[in-house]
Amino acid sequence: MIKVNNVSKKYGSFTALHDIDLEIGEGEFIAVLGPSGCGKTTLLKLLAGFMGPTDGTIEMDELLLASKRRVLPPEKRNIGMVFQSFALWPHMTVAEHVKFPLSYHPNKIKEGKKELHERINEVLKLVGLDSMAERYPSELSGGQKQRVALARAIAPLPNLLLMDEPLSALDVELRMEMRKEIQKLHRETKASIVFVTHDQGEALAIADKIVVMNRGRIEQIAPPEILYTRPETEFVATFVGKCNLVKGEWRSDQFVPAIDPKNVWPDLGVTISFKENGIYPVRPEQFQLLPPEQNGLQGIVSFVQYQGHEIHYTVEVEQETWTIHESVFTTRFTTGDFVSISLKNAPVQTESLVPN
Amino acid sequence: MTAKPPMAEERKKRDSSFSLFFQSKNLYKIAGLLVIFVLFLLPVLRLVWLSFVDDGSLTMQYYTEVLKEPATWKTVKNTIIVVLGSTTLALVLGILFSWIVAYVQLSGKRAMQLFIFLPFVIPSYITTLAWTQFFSASGPVTAMLSWLPGEPQAPNLYSIGGIILLLGISHYPLVYLFTVNVFRKIPRELEEAAATSGLSKKRTFWKIVLPLALPGIASGGLIAFLSNLDNFGIPAFLGTPANIRVLSTYIYEQVVGFGPSAFSRAAVLSVILGVIALLGTVLQWFLLRRSRVNETNRSDSTPRIYLSAGKQKFLEISLWIFLLVTSLMPLITMGALSLISAYGVPFKLENLSLRNYEYVFLTDSKPLSALSNSLQLALFTMLVCLVIGTAVAYLRFKYPDWSTKTAELFMTIPYALPGTVFALCMIFMWLEPIPGWNPGIYGTVWILFIAYITRFLVLQVRGSYTAFLQIDPSMEEAARTSGAAGWVKWRKILLPLLFPGIVSGALLVFLMALTELTVSSLLWSSGSETVGVVIFGYEQAGYSTYSTAFSTVLVLGILFGGGLFMLLGKLWDRKVLKTK
Repeated sequence: MIKVNNVSKKYGSFTALHDIDLEIGEGEFIAVLGPSGCGKTTLLKLLAGFMGPTDGTIEMDELLLASKRRVLPPEKRNIGMVFQSFALWPHMTVAEHVKFPLSYHPNKIKEGKKELHERINEVLKLVGLDSMAERYPSELSGGQKQRVALARAIAPLPNLLLMDEPLSALDVELRMEMRKEIQKLHRETKASIVFVTHDQGEALAIADKIVVMNRGRIEQIAPPEILYTRPETEFVATFVGKCNLVKGEWRSDQFVPAIDPKNVWPDLGVTISFKENGIYPVRPEQFQLLPPEQNGLQGIVSFVQYQGHEIHYTVEVEQETWTIHESVFTTRFTTGDFVSISLKNAPVQTESLVPN
Repeated sequence: MTAKPPMAEERKKRDSSFSLFFQSKNLYKIAGLLVIFVLFLLPVLRLVWLSFVDDGSLTMQYYTEVLKEPATWKTVKNTIIVVLGSTTLALVLGILFSWIVAYVQLSGKRAMQLFIFLPFVIPSYITTLAWTQFFSASGPVTAMLSWLPGEPQAPNLYSIGGIILLLGISHYPLVYLFTVNVFRKIPRELEEAAATSGLSKKRTFWKIVLPLALPGIASGGLIAFLSNLDNFGIPAFLGTPANIRVLSTYIYEQVVGFGPSAFSRAAVLSVILGVIALLGTVLQWFLLRRSRVNETNRSDSTPRIYLSAGKQKFLEISLWIFLLVTSLMPLITMGALSLISAYGVPFKLENLSLRNYEYVFLTDSKPLSALSNSLQLALFTMLVCLVIGTAVAYLRFKYPDWSTKTAELFMTIPYALPGTVFALCMIFMWLEPIPGWNPGIYGTVWILFIAYITRFLVLQVRGSYTAFLQIDPSMEEAARTSGAAGWVKWRKILLPLLFPGIVSGALLVFLMALTELTVSSLLWSSGSETVGVVIFGYEQAGYSTYSTAFSTVLVLGILFGGGLFMLLGKLWDRKVLKTK
């Protein structure tokens, strides 16, 4: 269990983190998601111990890792880390990379040489590199380098595994494959993982819980499906769900858009903070487009982008610009068409509906 | 939880040490800066102070005295002519070569670079010696001229023109070094955009390429300017016989002249020279501050200009002739002429002997003891600089705040100062480190040792710092999250990666200290002669054949060492860093 209590980090007059509170449970897989400059890397560096907080404390299983006054350095923490650039040492073989933490990490192998070599082989097998043990980084492909970086981080069975955008240096195909690989490692090592990313798809796919950060603050902490379907802040709604923020009035469980009060939309699972502000966050796939003679808000299509599995429309509604994703099997519209916009019929999303 | 939490006592111990560290962080910074200030900047301030003081009271007497003398103004005028002339020559040669090497399709560019850098590793006084042999009565230039009708005389190197030529040739590699990458980093698209906008190649060069290369040209030009101003060997070897003085040689003459007010007069002249040098440094800083255009652009070394086969051959041949004539031929001439038995006799088989070598290494005891002095000085300077310089570079890299920046600036000053001025600073500082206490450092080899470390430390700091910048910070972070701290982290991860960069810095320090002339010419004492001092001594006494013999051995040693270093560097890259 890792506890981050009221942690702030300032660089001179710039505050990178404001009063962060976070708990990471035993064996939990957490993704920290946010745009660049949101403070997610700072949070990771504080967890690793590369720097200390300006205020607040970090604890791991009752052991104080960091406070304003003192910082336990990374080499004394029970952690492992995977870096964005892999950070492989060019002068060491794959096997030597795995051996290194096994010799120096707080969890190092204290038994004999035999146990050490058994563990090296075990780890290399786990990441599928047992045939490349004697290779140097310059002789490996991108995916293989990533596996070495993972192997080095998990070898000493750390309590906490930190990952700093580990997939961003890989191409799309490989990224998908490595997501599964990381999930597999998580299952087998049972370490808590903090995975920093700016790719919301990656965070939704891989984590048990997502921490969304913006401008040095935590916006929301929730499991992926809750986060996606029931965002609590405008930032989460637009960053994670790409929501259109429709202004209007909430009358108990019914929403009346300001643009055209003739319409009434049902509540498909909007959180209380949006209701208080008179906003309905509608995800692009929640809208449907119909010919203009049908009931609904009237708009004009300004851009059409064919995506293969769906079509992305940009529609001008009065002064607003909305994004709407429609299936390729529905009626097609072209640029300049008048359309009628309404909500699709969908089950109401409540928190209890989400599988945990 | 797999690891046991540390024991309670252990935790307590760590707590106290860490909290102590945080409390006294600023204290360490200030204490460190104070030490650096005393060692690197205070000597300069004491020199300036001394130029204003006579018998304990402030006075402008020495300034009025020195500034009234016509000899001073003649020297200043000579200095300005020589420095401007040689800087212009270095700029023209340096820009020409860097532009051609960066943009034009040529074969053998790597070999060419090696020859461009040759004047860099050979100390300038040895280059000068070689050139005087090249133009001497028994040298090849006179021999070739004698075949021409009218038998024109070989130009006289012992003149202002000769000094300008030698300074220019010795320092154009500096301009080259600073501009070649700037040229390479100018995006090709900018030239293409100019071409599609209707500019001819020539106008593109003037309107686009040259303005963008200006920061590199300016900083290279200013470094050349400072080096020309600072140089002692060339004007001492060429100017002194012809009674041509520049500030650096004039200061030397004042100090060795041992008049009643020698040191104070030298201090005044040093302040004048220092002010000229400082103006250059400030100007450079100012220019560099405003231009950060090409920092992020990628260096593009594929050629942009393709010549027809015939033109390319012609260009290659002319460049090679220039390089061989300016760098290798004088050295070969010097080597050959060191074999003739007496100065001035023609280069014929019956006149050849090893007599000069026999004298230098067997009869006279000074050269061998000087070689041993210089080797020891260079070795210990290198080792001390290696450890301290790398430590400073690490701090500078790890904590890039005001304190480390100021520390680096302080350390740069002794290197940026002209050598004669710096030597004087060292005398004033270490004659009586605390007023009234003379520990007897001046007059022994220790003053040289201290002076070399003070002067050359910044070279190691820069070299190691560059090495640190080239390894990704995550390399170290990965070591730490793997549990390695302190010595293990350095030994297993950082040092193998840093080694080539650190070693090239250390070798530069070694080479500079080994062949140093300016500082040692003022700080040497009987028994602590350096290589430079002995060669200078022979030359002043008119024993050219001995100085050429000794220089030839040095040049061979430097070339051998350089070759060995390049070979080992390649081997290290292949065997340890596994680069292909």
